[in-house]
Amino acid sequence: MGRIAVTILLIFSALQGSGMNIYERNCVKCHENLPVSLDKFFFNYLLKYSSERQVKQALRNYLKHPRRKASLATEELLERYGIMPKSNLSDEELRKAIDIYWDKYKVFGKIE
Amino acid sequence: MSASNVTATGINRSERITLIRFIGLYSFLVLMILILGSTIYFKLQKDLMLQTKRLELEEYSKELIDGLKLLHIYFDRYRTYPRNSLYRSAIYDADHVQIFSTLKDPQGVQLDKVIYTTDGVIQYIHVLDSYYLGTKYTVVEIDDDKVWFKEAWRNILLYGGVLLFIFMAAGVVLMRLFLSPMREAIHLLDRFIKDTTHELNTPVSAILSNIEMIDQKRLDEKTARKIRRIEIGARTISTIYQDLTYLALDHQIVSEDRDTDVSALLKERIEYFKILGESKKITFKTDIQPGVKLFIDPAKLARLIDNLLSNAIKYNRRGGTVYIALHPKELVIKDTGIGMEKKEIAEAFKRYKRFKSGAGGFGIGLNIVAMIASEYNLDVKIESKKGQGSEVFVKWDV
Ligand code: HEC
Repeated sequence: MGRIAVTILLIFSALQGSGMNIYERNCVKCHENLPVSLDKFFFNYLLKYSSERQVKQALRNYLKHPRRKASLATEELLERYGIMPKSNLSDEELRKAIDIYWDKYKVFGKIE
Repeated sequence: MSASNVTATGINRSERITLIRFIGLYSFLVLMILILGSTIYFKLQKDLMLQTKRLELEEYSKELIDGLKLLHIYFDRYRTYPRNSLYRSAIYDADHVQIFSTLKDPQGVQLDKVIYTTDGVIQYIHVLDSYYLGTKYTVVEIDDDKVWFKEAWRNILLYGGVLLFIFMAAGVVLMRLFLSPMREAIHLLDRFIKDTTHELNTPVSAILSNIEMIDQKRLDEKTARKIRRIEIGARTISTIYQDLTYLALDHQIVSEDRDTDVSALLKERIEYFKILGESKKITFKTDIQPGVKLFIDPAKLARLIDNLLSNAIKYNRRGGTVYIALHPKELVIKDTGIGMEKKEIAEAFKRYKRFKSGAGGFGIGLNIVAMIASEYNLDVKIESKKGQGSEVFVKWDV
């Protein structure tokens, strides 16, 4: 019994220690293999959707239902890597991941 | 024709009222027109200024957007906002959230407008097609030097003043044009009344003095009665004559005030009017305290008493009574006649108002009473009951 608890604790602390949140575990992991970085995607969304509310909504839509028509990526990228697979995250996890994504790249407070 | 000439018919006052109303209405309209004109002019000047400034601001806006575009592309390396000393600016996202601002006061920004002034600055809003850094709206702001503002006001005051003067001058000319026929008519009427009044005096005095000279005892009953009727008629004309002279001339002449024995004068006037009452079989009942004094022009006091007595007879019923009481500081004259309603009492003091169209007289009586009363601060009150008669109280020194 004690052992199991210790093991769970260890796993948790390992996860925490490496700073692995849902965004890094899911999105970054997979995107590492892509030639276009996640921040470029982010700025494309910003360019098209402007505000926080609209960007997040567009991301959520795309991640849940990736379609070629809705994609902002270049043709070459889509040819080579195909459409992004439909996310297997739950709604709550997806919301969290997108929030982290937004906070990481948003321009608010960063302009000097 | 001087203003004092037009008093006989009381037109002087109504003419003044007409004038004041005309001037009031005219000035109101002129002011409305000027204010409207000024507002339009002001707005045009402002729009003109904004049009000129707009070109400049559009340039600044383009420059800012170019800067934003570069910043958007190189944001991972470079994060300095594109500034320029010539203007201040701010950027907003599609949900009107401010992304960055160098504006003086970011509070007053109106993103639904294009160009406007607020708090001494001019702001220009541009809506972007590509939202660099999420920017949907750029706001570019420069100081409003207010030169146009001062100039617009100066012109409004200057030209407005000149226009106002011209309008007013035109108004005076117009007014004279409109009024001159009316004035002429009044003048004519006025002269006519004065002349006739004057002409009346001699024959009436002649009739009255000749009747007095007749030895009535030597006449037979029938002739004596006829003579009496002639006398009544002549006295009535004489009273009317005196009222007219009072209105036309007397009240403009300086009053000859002195200590007047009201009791004696009142008795004398009652004697004079008794004969007029006879034809209506009117009884006079008096309660006159002797030696009541008042500092007044006796001719005017006579007009006041005459008119009250004359009314008491005129509006009395056949066989009625007139009660006259004089106490220190109070004169009461009461009749048993037709009486008046409340609003008629107020109306009664207005000139040319007759109580009953059947009754004779000029109906100017109470008006004269009111004029004299106000000159000497006498307090006149009327109590009346329809069908039962009226009671007039004249009080002084209260
Ligand atoms: C299984 C791999 C995988 C995972 C997990 C993944 N992505 Fe992607 N993503 C891709 C690929 C492949 C593309 C490029 C094709 C495309 O654009 O659809 C892509 C494209 C994108 C784009 C560009 C979309 C567009 O408009 O074309 C965004 C934004 C993005 N991913 C965000 C995320 C986020 C946020 C997460 C985490 C919640 C995530 N991705 C998880 C594979 C993944």
